[in-house]
Amino acid sequence: MGSWGFVLLAYGIVWLALVLYFLSLKNRMRKAGTKLSQLRSAGSPGKHEK
Amino acid sequence: MAKAEKKRGSGEILGVLALLFILVGLYVALIQAPPDAYQGEVQRIMYIHIPSIVAAYLCFFIVFLGSCLYLWKRETRDDILAKSAAEVGVLFTALTIIEGSIWGKPTWGVWWTWDARLTLTALLLMIFVGYIMLRSLIEDEERGAVCGAVVGIIGFLDIPLIHMSVYWWRTLHQPPSIFRPDKLPWENIKWPLLWPLIINIVAFVFLSLYLLSLRIRVGETEERIKGEMLGGTA
Repeated sequence: MGSWGFVLLAYGIVWLALVLYFLSLKNRMRKAGTKLSQLRSAGSPGKHEK
Repeated sequence: MAKAEKKRGSGEILGVLALLFILVGLYVALIQAPPDAYQGEVQRIMYIHIPSIVAAYLCFFIVFLGSCLYLWKRETRDDILAKSAAEVGVLFTALTIIEGSIWGKPTWGVWWTWDARLTLTALLLMIFVGYIMLRSLIEDEERGAVCGAVVGIIGFLDIPLIHMSVYWWRTLHQPPSIFRPDKLPWENIKWPLLWPLIINIVAFVFLSLYLLSLRIRVGETEERIKGEMLGGTA
């Protein structure tokens, strides 16, 4: 592998990992947000009854 | 609600700043900066290697702060801060080791060697991977947070050892490039190589803080879910 090969391999791995982590955080946030709103909507009639 | 919106807004500003500095950083690192006189083009890995470890150190310093605050005040937000920073710090430490390995092969002739600095950095990674595993294994939230805080504080103490290892032991790894006790950064690196490095360090600091702000939001939402579930069963 030439010099640029090592450079591009390093940059490629770093930016791929960072983008994947960013996407996984966005996904986790979306899932948690959906679950929270589901719990709130399921819990709200009960709260009114109390 | 307004506080949450304000936090979200500052997170978005961090994201925009990170993106701007990343784009400029990539241009100056891969196109603008001259190749090193001895290492040639391979030295361009420095522009992600040093910024990655700076970002990791920053995250572990936040773990240290959050852990100390949690042990003192026992507030959940400090635990979320420490837990989130540990996760982001582990990512940047793992990337530092991978980049170093790719840089090591053409310059040292090996992908890995049991050099003091490399070994202590691998130890740092293992401590904080252990921290994350510990947090997921202990079911009692408060006990997990206390144990995590103790590990987080002890783990942070590895960082001064890593930094000084190149002075205390005979190592293959070169001395620090910018944070040296005996020289100022511009006395050690020529300006055409230094300024692209500074831009990339700023980019990685903004990026790590932006990722941390996103991870904290995930942690806070998960905490609200727990609160809702406990409120529902009570």
